[in-house]
Amino acid sequence: MNNIAPDRPWLAAYGSDISPMLAPSPYANLAELVQDACTKFARNKAFTCVVPNGMSGTHTFAQVGKLSDEFASFLRHECGLKRGARVAVQLPNGLAYPVAAFGAFKAGCVLVNTNPLYTASEMTHQFNDAGVEVLVISDMFTDKLAEVIPQTGIRHVVLAGVPEFFPRVPEFIIRSVQKVWTRSLPPLPKLGVPVLRIREALRKGRAHPKVTDWDVLKPNDLALLQYTGGTTGVAKGAMLSHGNILANLEQVRAMGSHHMTGKDCVLTALPVYHIFAFTANLMTFFALGARNILVPSPRPVQNIQRALENYPVTWITGVNTLFNGLMNEEWFAAYPPKTLTAAIAGGTALHGAVAERWQKITGTRVAEGYGLTESSPLVTFNPLEQPMRAGSIGVPVPGTEVALVDDNADPVDDGQPGELLVKGPQIMLGYWNRPDDTAKTVQNGWLFTGDVATMDEDGYLRIVDRKKDMVLVSGFNVYPNEVEDCLAKLPTVLEAAVVGTPDAKSGEAVRAYVVRNPDQPDELTKQDVIAHCRKYLAAYKVPRSVIIRDELPKSPIGKILRKDLKAEVRAEFAGKV
Amino acid sequence: MLTELETTLLGIMMMVIMLGMGASMTPRDFLIAFRKPKGILVGLVSQFAVMPFLGFLLAVLLGLPPALVVGLLLIACMPGGTTSNIFAYFSKGVLALSIMMTTVSTMAAVVMVPVLLSFFGGLAGVGADYVIPPGNVAQILAVLLVPTMLGMILRRMNPNVGATVELIGSFMGVVVILFLIISWVPRNYQLLLDTPAPIYAATIGIGLIGMLFGYWVARGLGQDTNRARTISLETGIQNGPLAVLVITLSFTAAQQQAVLLIPVLYSLFIVLSSTAVMLWYRRSATREALARDAAKVIQDA
Repeated sequence: MNNIAPDRPWLAAYGSDISPMLAPSPYANLAELVQDACTKFARNKAFTCVVPNGMSGTHTFAQVGKLSDEFASFLRHECGLKRGARVAVQLPNGLAYPVAAFGAFKAGCVLVNTNPLYTASEMTHQFNDAGVEVLVISDMFTDKLAEVIPQTGIRHVVLAGVPEFFPRVPEFIIRSVQKVWTRSLPPLPKLGVPVLRIREALRKGRAHPKVTDWDVLKPNDLALLQYTGGTTGVAKGAMLSHGNILANLEQVRAMGSHHMTGKDCVLTALPVYHIFAFTANLMTFFALGARNILVPSPRPVQNIQRALENYPVTWITGVNTLFNGLMNEEWFAAYPPKTLTAAIAGGTALHGAVAERWQKITGTRVAEGYGLTESSPLVTFNPLEQPMRAGSIGVPVPGTEVALVDDNADPVDDGQPGELLVKGPQIMLGYWNRPDDTAKTVQNGWLFTGDVATMDEDGYLRIVDRKKDMVLVSGFNVYPNEVEDCLAKLPTVLEAAVVGTPDAKSGEAVRAYVVRNPDQPDELTKQDVIAHCRKYLAAYKVPRSVIIRDELPKSPIGKILRKDLKAEVRAEFAGKV
Repeated sequence: MLTELETTLLGIMMMVIMLGMGASMTPRDFLIAFRKPKGILVGLVSQFAVMPFLGFLLAVLLGLPPALVVGLLLIACMPGGTTSNIFAYFSKGVLALSIMMTTVSTMAAVVMVPVLLSFFGGLAGVGADYVIPPGNVAQILAVLLVPTMLGMILRRMNPNVGATVELIGSFMGVVVILFLIISWVPRNYQLLLDTPAPIYAATIGIGLIGMLFGYWVARGLGQDTNRARTISLETGIQNGPLAVLVITLSFTAAQQQAVLLIPVLYSLFIVLSSTAVMLWYRRSATREALARDAAKVIQDA
């Protein structure tokens, strides 16, 4: 474990633009950063929220500063929260999000980002696990509260709408449409705890003195509890400190500083409750004095059209499906935004074909990065100055060490696949209230990512697969990604997922779940799938069983959830082998 | 027919609608329409070749009397109506293409309509001299294009104003469609009762068959489904009021009554059939959009 040598073959890829020495953050905590940006860039537009019909609302930096101050006062003085108390924010992208999140930082509270689409039981688990005292939730999802609130320690509920802080007429129109047409505003159940709309909360906060004691917050203090499902099923809270996020912001900035300025305008279509958009969009561009275009619901992809048409977008962050979706739209592909500088891909593997097509259509790069919730999230990134390397997640960002190890935590030979370990200032403090999980995941400062990667001689990394997803067939490692890539090349297959099933003979066997491609006239048969795989894969990698499905389980950002399929397999084989 | 006041009211509503349609677009949409200029050309072909021929064919097959043949041919030879743009918008079609087709076909009408009418009129043995007053054509274009441009400018200046105007415009579109149906039926129901079946076949058929052919001509000439649907609506929806105007200018009062029958009936039924077709197209467009959203990565050849 200790003999991992800090060999850094990737430094050459930094070129002259990226300093290998990570600059220390000028701030001690995120509240300072927010306050500083709000003062320095007071008149700039910070956030514009655009709904699908093009209606929008905008906050300047000064407004964000004032409103988040008021919200901090509300939390401390009206709700009586102490520093370190947990505030859950369960909002789609919108103008209320930065007010609530930054307000929580200024109040010295811990932000608990929560997916708005969570079920009542997921909410209950997360709020209890984190010990949430105040919940800021979208008024579209209040129907679950009657079940959730009595089972948790939540003492105050604050409601915010999608058109919150919009000019009056658009706000009225959107609310009316939500009420009458889409009926997406459920009646508020009786809760037994105070429920306020966010503007009322701010009004109450205004009556109290401004909270200014955030200077006591140190880099090691907890800023965020960012829940991550992992593969075990139970969501764990990754403890990210102010220092973790600040360091990661410096790391993002180091990679992109020559291309990012305060005049930028970033399209934030990914949800900011997810760590990728939280750090890469919300915090990074806010700290620069740039503008975030917040899109509350990016699916279907036409929902982004007005945002892209009405604003001079220079950066887009996205996942593979988003880039692919955009390029399938004529309005995007025929006249991509001229203002674009580059795009950042993360969250899930970016297909080489998508990256190439993106470059061809927009004339700009889509650079893939890699990260985890546990690392705030950025670990590696493709330097924009270097030629594109399809399929590579790039090189470690400054200040980051990586190592590839085998099952005994010994370094693997050069070029061989091994579990990716990461060390750096962005690695979490641990899992909230789970010392055992923390001890397993972070050892001697090294984060065990559970991803199997290879590194080439230039230090570029490539993810081979998830360690936990690996299928062990008669002692041979089968990486599901490899089989899935092979399946995806069959024209009649729209998408595929591969998992292992228990097998009496080989220990485990490969199973493929496939979805038929509706654009193809031909039928999809199991025989075709197997014949196709036989052509390209070693015998032990060829699926033993093929299951044709109408769709595959996916996460909110479009990742295929192998863990759900594994759960199905477990249920199916329970007691059989 | 509509009274003077109603006509004026309708004109104003039409302008509000086009203001909203304009606010739903950016100059880029017109660039996209012109990027495949073939679309406009294909539209013109189905507008000025398919439709007049269909009109002629229906007239002959149904054995209509001369005055009605004239009315049917007139409708068949008309340029695209401005309501086609509302239907293109609601069917999630290529609005800019629809507007360009209406514009181009309306301008071309000054020359094309008299030529087509005398040709097919001659074939059907109902030759006459027709006048397409350029002043009215200019007026139609002004009502169409000026508000569209204003709408685009409004959106450019303030997206919220643009989005609000668009919403008002589309709401007004529904109102106009309902207004046309509701105000038309009660005052003409005696006419509806007296009209024999072949005339119904002709009036409803010219619109629906026009849309059907418009779609398949466009598909056959390599247009994608979304453009084909737009061209289909544009082909089937003719400028009924212009036909009425031409008749009042070209015929004596005594002749007018009979000639007017088909254009008047057409104006009612096209709203009904377009609404039905639009709802269907809208569903297809939504389905295709969702499929595209979930589609597999397109590999470059």
